[in-house]
Amino acid sequence: MFDRILPYLLAGISVGGQYALISVGYTMVYGILRLINFAHGDIFTAAGFFMVYLTASLPMTVSIPLVIVMTVALGFTLERVAYKPLRTAPRMSVMISAIGASYLLQNLMWYVTGGLAKQYPVLPWLSDNVQIFSASTKIVTIVTPILTIALVVALVALIRYTKIGMAMRAVSHDFEISQLMGIRINSVISMTFVIGSGLAAVGSMLYFTNYSTVTPTVGAMPGLKAFVAAVFGGIGSIPGAVIGAAVIGICENLIKAAGYTAFSDAFTFALLIVVLLFKPTGLFGEKTAEKV
Amino acid sequence: MSDNVLRLENITMQFGGVVAINNLSMRIDQGEIVALIGPNGAGKTTAFNCITGVYEPTNGAVYFHDKVIAAAHPTGKMVRMYAGSDPEKFKDMHVVMTPDRITEMGIARTFQNIRLFKSQTAFENVLIATHLRRTSNVFTAAFGLNYKEEKHNREKAMELLRIVGLDDVAGEKATSLPYGKQRRLEIARALATDPTLLLLDEPAAGMNPQETLELGEFIKQIKNDFNLTVFVIEHHMDLVMGISDRIYVIEFGKQIAEGTPEEIQNNQAVIDAYLGGNDE
Amino acid sequence: MKKMSKTRLAVSLAVVALLYLGAWWAEATLGTNSMLITVIKKGAVYALIAVSMNLLNGFTGLFSLGQAGFMLVGAYVYAVFTIPLKRHAAVYQYYNGGLIQFELPLIVALILAGVVAAILAALVGLPVLRLKSDYLAIATLGFAEIIRAVVQWDSLGPITNGSNLLKTYPTFSSTKIFGTTVLFPLIVSGICIGLILLIINSTYGRAFKAIRDDEVAAEAMGINLFHHKELAFVISCFFAGIGGALLAMFQGTVQANSFKSAMTYDILLMVVIGGMGSVSGSVIASFLYIACSEWWLRFLDNEMFIGSFQVPFLRSGFRMVVFSIVIMVMVLFFRKGIMGDRELWNLRLPRKKAKGRDKQ
Repeated sequence: MFDRILPYLLAGISVGGQYALISVGYTMVYGILRLINFAHGDIFTAAGFFMVYLTASLPMTVSIPLVIVMTVALGFTLERVAYKPLRTAPRMSVMISAIGASYLLQNLMWYVTGGLAKQYPVLPWLSDNVQIFSASTKIVTIVTPILTIALVVALVALIRYTKIGMAMRAVSHDFEISQLMGIRINSVISMTFVIGSGLAAVGSMLYFTNYSTVTPTVGAMPGLKAFVAAVFGGIGSIPGAVIGAAVIGICENLIKAAGYTAFSDAFTFALLIVVLLFKPTGLFGEKTAEKV
Repeated sequence: MSDNVLRLENITMQFGGVVAINNLSMRIDQGEIVALIGPNGAGKTTAFNCITGVYEPTNGAVYFHDKVIAAAHPTGKMVRMYAGSDPEKFKDMHVVMTPDRITEMGIARTFQNIRLFKSQTAFENVLIATHLRRTSNVFTAAFGLNYKEEKHNREKAMELLRIVGLDDVAGEKATSLPYGKQRRLEIARALATDPTLLLLDEPAAGMNPQETLELGEFIKQIKNDFNLTVFVIEHHMDLVMGISDRIYVIEFGKQIAEGTPEEIQNNQAVIDAYLGGNDE
Repeated sequence: MKKMSKTRLAVSLAVVALLYLGAWWAEATLGTNSMLITVIKKGAVYALIAVSMNLLNGFTGLFSLGQAGFMLVGAYVYAVFTIPLKRHAAVYQYYNGGLIQFELPLIVALILAGVVAAILAALVGLPVLRLKSDYLAIATLGFAEIIRAVVQWDSLGPITNGSNLLKTYPTFSSTKIFGTTVLFPLIVSGICIGLILLIINSTYGRAFKAIRDDEVAAEAMGINLFHHKELAFVISCFFAGIGGALLAMFQGTVQANSFKSAMTYDILLMVVIGGMGSVSGSVIASFLYIACSEWWLRFLDNEMFIGSFQVPFLRSGFRMVVFSIVIMVMVLFFRKGIMGDRELWNLRLPRKKAKGRDKQ
């Protein structure tokens, strides 16, 4: 029994970590702008393509940091172009802009790639196999949760102890008042997108090492799931997003283990609806101190 | 005249640790105009919200024509945090009604910060309020089988606009009207729900003395014409003293006085509340 | 909105009749397979779906993203109940000819498509309509995804054919009117949009708009929020179901996997481009959207040479890039869309009267 479940459990933890890295981007943006950034999943996909194209001509050591920089730049640009002009618009308009931006990114990627699935480069070391008890898996499976936790701890420290972190907390608490207090809202928001996109870039490297091909719409589903994870954990709460992502990643793979692969996506949404109905603030939604 | 329309029993409204209304009891009789006054932040609008079902009170009961329309006692975390009185008295009562049910029973209200339907014309704003008393369902309404009722409602809406003196701007966007007219439009809209009790939340806010004077006359007139009982929150003392049969005064959520305008004017506690350093 | 005058109503209906006549004539002369006819048919289908979504998002202020799910239900109900019995063995080849051993008349199946979607909406609405704004959006999106997964579930295969195609059911070519295929979708869609308009202009429509404008005030005026939201949701999904069935007829085959959230986004963009709260706007936008994406911008996908000079950028996929940039520009700079919340037939006269393919 354990032998049969173990590979799924490992995959679950690993996927959970990858969702967590995407999820943080959602939860931070939502905490500050009250916006579901529908294009976040596409930023994640774009990071995948950056890697594909960069490694074609550059060595891995240059490519990896460059991917992160380019993804961050993309996230920053997205915010400036699609969301900043709508700062005073009704929330529905901003959400529609997010959907439009997602549509644009997907079509742009389709155009550049010709709609073909691209082979993701093999990242050295991460793709090597390793034996854990009875299961054989890639090293990335082990690295993901560790890296995720390390990054999230660093992020929480940043939010708690630095000046920009304090500004973020203030803005998420009350947008207008912080503006009156002289906080430069736009730089705080940009910072949020920069951090979110950077983590999504890291997440994409880990994710695609497992899944090996990138297509223009591949990010949509992990993106939605990561958002569900953020809601599940209590939107605005970073530790909540991580725990939510872990739960979703593990459950999803256990459902696959039970033979209901077709329902692994549906489960995520069923979980979302149950959470929204019975605890709309999510697991950690009440602790406003953790809100970002 | 002593048939009581509205009765509040020991109403307490607590938000977290803040007690907005503390053990408030009052009574309004048929045909009266009763005013609720008090310094800013005394809990007047909160009282309205408890009556109209916007808030569920933390403790206490509200009766309308001797029927319970809201009743509650502290539950859950509130049991520990509760800072009001009589937590045991309403132990066996729990009645929650949504605002639309309460309006249906005959309580209509206006809002302190005007809440008109902003994309609609003045006429449509009033017309929407007749929806409550419809006899049509969605099919008969869609196919125009309720044309008699529809015609009647349109006439009624126009008539109400004429009564509040807005028939000349019936076709204009509600939000494009000047402030005073918007307030009167809110009254017309409330009247269109066929109420027996009308709650007015600062109807004279932003009006000049002349307009305020006219408003007082207007309130008395609609009270008689529509056979209403009126409960009004107001800061303009001229208006309050001019139209009220009785006045309740609250401060920090607590009742500090009750009586006729003369009694209130000479009540030391009221004078202290208004002159004793509170902003007003 | 103001009551429409009798003359305006007559003029509008006459314009619609003329447009229908024009569509008929176009098919009779250009042939069924011409691009124009395809666009009109698909546009008619999407016009209905966009208007049904506008009823929710534009008129009632409920941001729902579940449209694709309810279209899927409609499409499947229609297809399952109209596949001819003698074709069952071929279509349900993995499920022993399927479970349902009867077929319904086309019109009955079309209405049933709406009814089943509406019943499902009533059930889904019970929990989700209590949620606010973006939580409602994400919950309805989630339900649509759940519906998609359930329909493809292998155990339901004898009914839904699992993840395999449903096909051989009657399409627009089996519903010819006056010898053309174009009139059936136009008429069905036209009747449905007409019904939605009647509802919007009734006292219920006013109540919906009141909820959109101010929930607190609407409730204080005696409008039961939940009851009316549920009503709007059920009506919208009823027509989305019929729209889904029409889409199935248009496509000729239907498969659950094509009803993704991207489809809902497409429809939402049509609604936004047309103007939230404008039925005629949604209709115009649907036709424009379909015409641009299927037809007018097609040339962008083909490499083009002027002399020996190759026009840059033009190759497969560029059309959608241009298209999505146009959409972003609309969303960012023309937030009110083509019509805002006005209707073609209510515009003041000096402007040209109803000229588009308004009010199918």
